[in-house]
Amino acid sequence: MRRSNSQSAREFAGFALPGLFLYGLLVLVPIGWTVVLGFTDRNRFAAATHWVGLEQFQRLFGDDQFWLVLKNTFVVTAIVVVVPNVLGLAIALLLDRNTLLYRLLRSLFFTPVILSGIVVSVIWQSMLRPGGVLNRFFGAVGWLSDPGIALYSISGILCWQMLGFCVVVYLAGLNGVPRELYEAAIVDGAGWWRRFGSVTWPMIASAVTINTVMLLISGFKVYEHILVLTNGGPGRNTTASIAFDVIEKGVRGDRIGFAAAEATVMLAIIVALSGVVLQVLRRREVHL
Amino acid sequence: MRSRLTVTLAALLTVALAGCTQGGKSASGGPSGSAGGTVELTMLTFETPNLPAALWDSAIARVEQKVPGVKIKKLVTPNVDRTTYAKQLASSGQLPDIMIAVNPQGFAEGGQLAEFSQDDLKDFADPASGAIKGKIYQLPTNAQPQSLLYYNKDDFAKAKIAAPPKTWTEFLADCAKLKAVGITPIAVGGGGQDTFASMYTWVGTVGTDVYLTDPDFSKEITSGSKTFDDPSFVKATDKVAQLAKLGYLDKQGTSRSYADHEKAFRAGSAAMYPMGSWFATSADNDKPKFGVGVFAWPSDDGKAVVPNLTGGGLSVSAKAENVDLAKKFALEWTRDKETSDAFTKADGTFNTIKGYQPPADMGPLFKETLAIYNQAVKDATVTPALSIEQGDNGLPADMTVPVQQIAVELLNGKSDAKAAVTKLNKEYASLK
Repeated sequence: MRRSNSQSAREFAGFALPGLFLYGLLVLVPIGWTVVLGFTDRNRFAAATHWVGLEQFQRLFGDDQFWLVLKNTFVVTAIVVVVPNVLGLAIALLLDRNTLLYRLLRSLFFTPVILSGIVVSVIWQSMLRPGGVLNRFFGAVGWLSDPGIALYSISGILCWQMLGFCVVVYLAGLNGVPRELYEAAIVDGAGWWRRFGSVTWPMIASAVTINTVMLLISGFKVYEHILVLTNGGPGRNTTASIAFDVIEKGVRGDRIGFAAAEATVMLAIIVALSGVVLQVLRRREVHL
Repeated sequence: MRSRLTVTLAALLTVALAGCTQGGKSASGGPSGSAGGTVELTMLTFETPNLPAALWDSAIARVEQKVPGVKIKKLVTPNVDRTTYAKQLASSGQLPDIMIAVNPQGFAEGGQLAEFSQDDLKDFADPASGAIKGKIYQLPTNAQPQSLLYYNKDDFAKAKIAAPPKTWTEFLADCAKLKAVGITPIAVGGGGQDTFASMYTWVGTVGTDVYLTDPDFSKEITSGSKTFDDPSFVKATDKVAQLAKLGYLDKQGTSRSYADHEKAFRAGSAAMYPMGSWFATSADNDKPKFGVGVFAWPSDDGKAVVPNLTGGGLSVSAKAENVDLAKKFALEWTRDKETSDAFTKADGTFNTIKGYQPPADMGPLFKETLAIYNQAVKDATVTPALSIEQGDNGLPADMTVPVQQIAVELLNGKSDAKAAVTKLNKEYASLK
């Protein structure tokens, strides 16, 4: 018995509408409201809120601290996109075997992913502090107290946490590569590097896309690690990210209009970067 | 069938949303219950190792008995940052009816706090402290010296320092002696979320070089008649930069949390610990393995300076269901001798109710600290505390974090006085 198009549409609507309604209410409306607030002088304690047009954006772009936190965010994001991606792929290639030991190792690598950023930060803070376990090996390094090092310490911790995610995604990608292709390549006399470049790499392109976009977003929205480990310091915003600065200005500083403008810029950057990366990476994806 | 499902879902959604609304209302301390002539008021408290839940519970129960008609529902902040949490609650219309040690700036100007009258304040030794546009929104309950120099007597003996320094020159000479025998002279803290703990050295030098001669310095900054380029402020800032340059500061300490900062001093990381008077009670209750002494910040001419904050008391929401009863509770809390004694013993505060005497069995370091404060009151060398002072005599609240972060740059030797004051001026300009 064939179902009519209208019946299918009603069923689709029945399943989709509650989710769309909640998504709109809890995600799209707050985003839209934030964008609107960016055009006002909203302050928690001010008696009235006024429409100020682009004034908050002009102040934002004229603020040295904004450019500093933007630079920090790009540094963290660049490190977090590159390092776990490369290491994750290397580890996935090593673990792409189906024995008990390798299955255990996969679980081990994935463990940091399921920990909250706060837990990870507290653990690392205890290791990086003066007298912590790392300084027993490396001497008195100011992992979190030296402004020239602290940002890289935070980036390293993020890489450590995201590595397991990359490994699992790459393992799933490697699992989907037909073994016949490798066999054919071997018959053709292809060595390991040739097989990787001509078979593996094109076939795991979708895994590269997923990892890159997820890492890009993770790097851009980093907040809790900074809050726990350095609170934006040491010194004036030396490790603050845009997400951290938005909360500082909006929640602790009461400058909601200014913080909303900054959040809007952050959203625009993430959307633009994710869009470009998706377009570029998808072009090289192979569909069997 | 489908319509019944829709109705059921709608009912569930309504119940869920109503549940959310109920939670907010209850926490706001709004009309959440006045059965039998008793008004339920919410009170925002905070817990620390010094101020555990049991201390708050017993104080609340005691004062409730003295103010008939009030039932307190205790709220606890998730961390020691009471002010940020109160702001979060205020954002969703849940500002507690009564709050303790919440910075009233912003709340007061926004009309969210009830004003205390002159009659309410008649029992206070310093009734105008913390005024905002001349009005008091937080009871000036406690005097708390914000920065004194606690020191390791054993380290001083090893360095052959016979007595604490009185002048800045003597202070530098003593630091040199300590360094010469391999002891880091000054402890530093302020890592993680505890950036505030980085302030105490700068608070000390600004006290001696700026506020002692110009107690209205912050007012002059906000009025625009002075900037941070003021020579006295530059000099005070340069003193901190010089301490870093001379290697007298434990620079790595800038990554230590407040708790670790104290633990490190207790473990002998440095000879001197710039800290507020609350450390006296902590050291009396849990004595370090070495003898601890205390002295006030040495100035160029030998005056012993005590940067201090008088405030830290209770505030009342202007929208409390019964503002008068809430104020009555706040005042009774402050006047109740047993409650004051409990907080004095636990947190080393100096109650500023006229005629109040702390318990006789307070520890020796508390008594020594109190004596230094009392002497400074007599000598008129009690000063405001940079970035900690509130109200008309303080910097804008939005300057607090930048000042603390710039303090870290001075402590770890990555900045100098000129760079620091330039940054401060920029930060202040960006707030306008």
